[in-house]
Amino acid sequence: MALLEMNGVRKRFGGVLALDDASLSAAGGEVHALLGPNGSGKSTLNKTLTGVVVPDRASITIDGSPVAIHGPRDAHAHGVAAVYQQLSVVDDLTVTQNVVLGLEPTRRLGLLDRRAARTVAAEVLTRFSPAFAGSVPYDAAVGALSPGEQQIVEICKALARRPRILVLDEATASLHKEQVHVLFEVVRELRDSGVLVVFTSHRMDEVFALCDQATVLRNGRTVGTIALADATEDQLVHMMVGDVERREEARRSHASDRTVLQVRGLTTQRLRDVSFSVAQGEVLGLGGLQGQGQSDLLLAMFGAAKIHAGEVLYDGVPLPLTSPVKAARAGVALVPGDRGRQGMFAVRPIQENLSIASMHRRATARLALSQRAERRAARGIVERLNIVIGGLADRISTLSGGNQQKVVIGKWLLNEPRVVLLDDPTKGIDITAKEEVYAIIRELADSGAAVVFNSSDNRELLEMSDRVLVLFEGGVVDELTDAQVTEEDLVASALRLEAGETL
Amino acid sequence: MNTPVISSLRPPKVLSPVVLAAGLAIALLIVGEIVSPGFAGHGQIVNMLRVSAFLGIIAIGQTIVIISGGEGIDLSVGKVATFAAIIGSRVMDGDNTKLLPALTLALTVAAAIGLCNGLGITYLRIPPFVMTLGMIGVVQGLILAYTSGQAHGRAAPFLTSLVNGKVIFDLPGLLFLWLLLAVAVTWMLRRTTYGWQLFAVGANRVSARLSGIPVRRTVILAYVLSSVFAGLAGILLLGYTESVFLDLADQYMLPSIAAAVIGGTLLAGGIGGYAGTAIGAVVLTVLQSLLITLEISAAGRTVINGLVLIVLLSLYGRQRRLRT
Repeated sequence: MALLEMNGVRKRFGGVLALDDASLSAAGGEVHALLGPNGSGKSTLNKTLTGVVVPDRASITIDGSPVAIHGPRDAHAHGVAAVYQQLSVVDDLTVTQNVVLGLEPTRRLGLLDRRAARTVAAEVLTRFSPAFAGSVPYDAAVGALSPGEQQIVEICKALARRPRILVLDEATASLHKEQVHVLFEVVRELRDSGVLVVFTSHRMDEVFALCDQATVLRNGRTVGTIALADATEDQLVHMMVGDVERREEARRSHASDRTVLQVRGLTTQRLRDVSFSVAQGEVLGLGGLQGQGQSDLLLAMFGAAKIHAGEVLYDGVPLPLTSPVKAARAGVALVPGDRGRQGMFAVRPIQENLSIASMHRRATARLALSQRAERRAARGIVERLNIVIGGLADRISTLSGGNQQKVVIGKWLLNEPRVVLLDDPTKGIDITAKEEVYAIIRELADSGAAVVFNSSDNRELLEMSDRVLVLFEGGVVDELTDAQVTEEDLVASALRLEAGETL
Repeated sequence: MNTPVISSLRPPKVLSPVVLAAGLAIALLIVGEIVSPGFAGHGQIVNMLRVSAFLGIIAIGQTIVIISGGEGIDLSVGKVATFAAIIGSRVMDGDNTKLLPALTLALTVAAAIGLCNGLGITYLRIPPFVMTLGMIGVVQGLILAYTSGQAHGRAAPFLTSLVNGKVIFDLPGLLFLWLLLAVAVTWMLRRTTYGWQLFAVGANRVSARLSGIPVRRTVILAYVLSSVFAGLAGILLLGYTESVFLDLADQYMLPSIAAAVIGGTLLAGGIGGYAGTAIGAVVLTVLQSLLITLEISAAGRTVINGLVLIVLLSLYGRQRRLRT
C-alpha cells in the first residue's frame, strides 16, 4: 500500500497555474524521483507536501488516512522533512547547533543540554564524515564551510528529525561527487529502513543511480509513474518534454582566428596567475570540480573582485576592472551563478529587471526614461528569448526558474556586450529552457562576442565549448582543445588523475 | 532553484496600501464630521492639508531613503529641517530680496549634512540608524554654535504669503508647491534611470552591483535628497510660523517614517512610492486633528497614533505574502 498519496493537487500563483490536477503515489521503502521540466510544477508539488505551499485544492493521505497540511509544522507532525537547494542553515551557529535547531534537548528549567545536543547531532553527522574530508567540524560556524558542506549540514538537519518521508529537492546541486556518493549511501540505508525518499534532481545519472520509481510532471499535471529499472533516459526525457522534436545540433564553431580577449597573470585572493585568450566568436568553457575558482575568475573579469596582479585586455587595450560599473560600461556582461541572490530583483517588475543594465543608453540625457522605449526594448527581448510571462509589470518572482534566468541574460543582451561571462547559466532550469540558453550562447558567439562559460554539467560544457580550461584550486591546470574530448577525459582532468600529478 | 516564488499583487481581493490609506483618511474625516459637525468643512480641510504639506515634504526624502534599502532610514530629517529654518530665518531676516540667498545657503548646508550621512553609511559602513542618529547630535551642536542659544531673524513676507496666503481658488500656494513636488518626485522614482536604480539597489544590493549599477552613488544621493527635502520643509515651516525656534521641526522625525510606511513603502527597501507617503501624511494629520477635536490628552494621542500604525502595518503584512 502506498505510504503517500497525493491527488488532484491544484495551485495557482497569480496568473500562472502551477499545478493542475497533479498526483503522486509512493510506497515506504522506496526512492521516488519526481521529474519534469521547471515550469512543470514538481517543486510546487514538493512544497505542497512539505507545507511551504498551501494548495488551492488537494487530497493527501499518509498511511491511508487523510491529512491536512497547512504549514511546515503540520508536515513535521506527519513525519515529513525536506531539503532544498536553497539553504536554511544559520551561518553564525555551529554545525551542531544547526543540526539540532528546533530540536534542542533540554534539561530541567529549559536549559540546553549541550552534551545531548552533541550526541543527537553526531548520530547523523558521523555518517557524513567522508563528505567533510574525513572529520566533521562540529564546532565550526556553518558560514565558514564550503557550499557543499553547508548543504550536507542542511541534509543532516532534516535527518535529525527522523522523517518517514524525506524530500530532497535539488539537494545535490552544490555537492561534489564524493559528497553525492556519501549521501546516496545514507539514502539507501534510509530506504531499507522503510523511509520514503522523494528525490528531485536535474542530473539524470543521479536519478538512475538512486531511484526506484519516477513520477513525471509536465505543465502542472502528472504524466505518469514509471519503474526506473525498465526505463531509458530517452524515454523519460520524452515523457517530460512530450512530443516535441528534440534538437540535436552538432557543435559548430564560428570562432575566428582573431584573438580579442587576453587574460594575463590574473591573480586575486582565490585565483593564482590565470592566463588564457579567447578568439572572437569563441565559446571558452571553464571546467573542473566546482568551486575551484571558476566563479571567482568570472567575477574578477567583471571587476567584482579585487585584482592583486595581472590584467585583462580586449583588442590589446586593458579593460577597466576596478568596478562592475566600469566593466559593464566597457561592454562586459556577467550572468552570475546565483540567480536569486546575484542576478535578479525579485520584488521588482520584469520590465525593470530587463531594463536595468542598459536603460541609460535609451534615456534622454542618461536620466529621463521613455516608457515606450523601455517597453519596446523589453518586449523585443521577451520575444527573442521566448520568455513566458504574464505581463511586463509582473514581478520577476512570478516566473519559473528558466524564465527568470532568461530575463537575467536578456538584461545584458540589451547592453550589446563584447565579452559575455556566464556562470553556470543552466543550473536548476528545465531541459527546454536549457536548450534555449544554449541557442542564445551560440547566437552571442556567432555575432562576435567572446564568451566564457562555466558549467557544472560536463556534458553541456563539452557540447557548448570550443575549448575547455580545467581549473583546480584557483589555477588553470589543463586545456582541452580536441573536438573528440570525452566526458571521461574531462572528469579525469578535473580530478587531476593524470600520472605524476599530486593532489 | 526552481521555486515559483509566492508573491503577486494580482489577486483582486488585495487592496494596495495607497487605496487603504486613502480610505482611512476619508473614514477619519467622516467620523470627525459626525462627532463634530464642521470638522470636514472646506476651511478645515484646507488647513489640515496645509499642515500635512510640511510633513509630506519632509517625508519625500524619508521615502527615498527607505526605498534605497540596507535598513535605510534618516532620523536626522527633523533636526536638519530645524537647522535650515534657523539659517534661513537669520539670512533673510524679513527681507524678500534675501529670500533666494537664504534658501540657497540653507539647502546647501542641508545637502552637505546629507552627503556626510551618505558617505558614512556607504564608505564607513555605519548602519543608517546609527549614522543619522549621531547626526542629530552633530546638527544640534551646529545649531547651538550658530545661534548661541538664541534664534534670530524672521520669515520674508513673500515666504509667509506663499505658505499662508491664498493664491488660486482660495487655496494657499503651499498646496500647489506640494503638488508640484509630488509630481516631480513620482516622475523621478518611476521615469528616471536614478529612480529605477534606487528601487533595484533597495531590492537587492548584490544584484544591483553585478548589474553595473553605481550602488554607493545611488545611496549617497538618496541621503542628500533626504536632507535637501527636509531643509526645504524647514524653510516652508518658517514661512508658516514666521519666526523660528530651536526645536521648530524636530518632532517631524517619527511621523515622516510613519507616513512613508503607512503609504506602503516597505521598510526593507525596494518597494514603495510617493503617492502613498503623501496620503500617509494626510492620514496622520487628520488623525491628530480628530483626536484634538475629541479632546484626547497628548498622552492618549500618542498611544492611539502608535496603535493605528501597528494595525495598518499588520494589515499590509497580511496582504503582502513575500517569501523571497
